[in-house]
Amino acid sequence: MRTYELVFVVDPRVADEDVVAMTQEYKQMITAGGSQISKEESWGRRKLAYPIAKLNEGKYVLLGIESEGGKSSLSEVEHRMRQNDKILRYLTVRTDEDLKRAASRHPKTAGRHGESPAGLAADATTAAGPGGSSAAAAAGEV
Amino acid sequence: MARPRKVFYRRRKVCKFCADKIDYVDFKDVKLLQQFIPERSKILPRRISGTCARHQRLLQQAIKRARHLALIPFTTD
Repeated sequence: MRTYELVFVVDPRVADEDVVAMTQEYKQMITAGGSQISKEESWGRRKLAYPIAKLNEGKYVLLGIESEGGKSSLSEVEHRMRQNDKILRYLTVRTDEDLKRAASRHPKTAGRHGESPAGLAADATTAAGPGGSSAAAAAGEV
Repeated sequence: MARPRKVFYRRRKVCKFCADKIDYVDFKDVKLLQQFIPERSKILPRRISGTCARHQRLLQQAIKRARHLALIPFTTD
């Protein structure tokens, strides 16, 4: 089984509901391709470290994906993200091999990686200002 | 008689990741990565941070991923 993490950054001008709808659409594409969504996190509005397309903020969404066998629809999802100009950045990382290697070194402390670092969520809400509360609410829904 | 020579005690640097038993350097862990990017946002070299080769490699990969997602700057100007 392969696991992936897919993070994408959405234009902050897109409403929270639309971000959720977009995420839903991508999730459907992934599940249609025979993979499962193991994790979903919305980090809400976050300040970008450098401007992208003259924007200083972005809405981050993380999806954890588990796919059986070799075939997955991820390349198609990436293709769609590339074409969507509301998506500023995306990144897919295959995590199973690295995590397995990590687990074999220190079996006891494995699985520590599971949750997203607490700092992220906290940062998102404090840095967001007015949008913060709604972003936190969106994260809560998920 | 030999002059008493000044002795420098250099603190031995220890790889932070080995000490904390971190085997997977997560690109999402901005707080952790930030410890290895000084003011100019360059990746802190091994000879200064004392990170072991294996972990420096993982760290480098994680920092580059985080940069792509604008979690961490490429440069500061």
